[in-house]
Amino acid sequence: MKALLALTVVGGSVAHATLTPMISVAGVTPDLPLIMVILLALRRGPEFGCVAGFVTGLLQDATGGGLIGVQALTKGLIGFGIGVAGGRLRVSQPLVQVPGLVVLTIAEGLARFALLQIFRFPAPFGELMAYVVLPQALCNGFIGAAVVLSLAWAQSFRGRFEGEQS
Amino acid sequence: MRKVALLVSLVAVCLLILTLQTRGYGARARDAFAIVTTPISAGLAKASRATFGLWTTYLDWKNVRAENYRLREEVQQLRVHALRVTETDEENGRLRRLLALQEHLPLTTLSGEIIAREWGGWIRSLTVNRGRSDNVPRLTAVISPDGLVGRIVDVRPGASIVQVLTDPASTVGAHVARTRTPGIVEGDPRGTIRFKFMARDGAAIQVGDALVTAGQGGVFPRGIPIGVVRSIDDRGGALFHYAELTAAVDFARVDEVLLVTDGSQRDVTAFFPTVGR
Repeated sequence: MKALLALTVVGGSVAHATLTPMISVAGVTPDLPLIMVILLALRRGPEFGCVAGFVTGLLQDATGGGLIGVQALTKGLIGFGIGVAGGRLRVSQPLVQVPGLVVLTIAEGLARFALLQIFRFPAPFGELMAYVVLPQALCNGFIGAAVVLSLAWAQSFRGRFEGEQS
Repeated sequence: MRKVALLVSLVAVCLLILTLQTRGYGARARDAFAIVTTPISAGLAKASRATFGLWTTYLDWKNVRAENYRLREEVQQLRVHALRVTETDEENGRLRRLLALQEHLPLTTLSGEIIAREWGGWIRSLTVNRGRSDNVPRLTAVISPDGLVGRIVDVRPGASIVQVLTDPASTVGAHVARTRTPGIVEGDPRGTIRFKFMARDGAAIQVGDALVTAGQGGVFPRGIPIGVVRSIDDRGGALFHYAELTAAVDFARVDEVLLVTDGSQRDVTAFFPTVGR
């Protein structure tokens, strides 16, 4: 199971750089690793979320060609935060998770921008928000909704199957 | 406590990496990452390209299939359209010929349309859409631009029955246009017509001679084409000889006809240019 999770995290991160350009809509690509980190953190807790976010972000940074460590830090923080919040708040409902994905994507964008500012990496805030972060947040919301619904369906199917077996 | 320690250490690592990069020590780290990630990326790219290639091929195939289906339907529609156009064109031509004949003939005529055909061996008749309400008299001659079709034998409220020349009971007084040899054109159970003539008068009849109505029985005007001699059945010393004819009118395909409603016996040979050809 751990190996599968590790494969999901590593493979998903590398796949993001390769596959997401092909599933872009009007130039907007979803941040699949972020969605994956959030969903994993909700289910596995802050530690797993933090490590998954760190590894995912690090691999994204490495394959993306930017400053290595920026996304590792932002995604690690988000993974940790969601893992903590998932235990205290009622975030299991899809209607909460989907808007949550949108908000978290924006938060991740803001955090990344802040980090880039700190390390003197040139990035225009307005344009980044308008053309990258907000469209990607919406895209993540839709993709996340599909993923959440698929997972819910798979879980109910599994539960029914296991009920029939017993 | 463990969680916070993990978080703090990860943040610290990240900040360290970032700081090292901004101070020019990032190249080696990037190279190390690249050694790991590049082969995976390359493999995934290859796999995704293959998958998307397969998908694109499937989509192309689907599109081609859909297009093929659409084009087939279009071809079908165009064929139907072309048939309609051809049919309309042919009908137009037939009606023009009929109208021209009607205008030029010095006879009172009524145009009619064939609405049914009785094509068994016993009876050969056509039903024309002119009947009692059109004051069509019985025994009215029925003609087409090609020649004689037959005569009305039964008049009904909205239609009339035309006895076709090929009906076994049909007899029409006729003569050979070239030699003026008189005789009778009879229908044949085989669906053909033949010319019965006296042997002593018919020595000069040849294959290809045209026959026209004699106009002596008071039913048909004189000079309406009936057919041409296809073969001569010389019966030796018999009183009557026969000539097999090819009818001037294709009875199976005639759709529009003229009903000659006056009893005029005028010679109309000149209005049928095929006679004597």
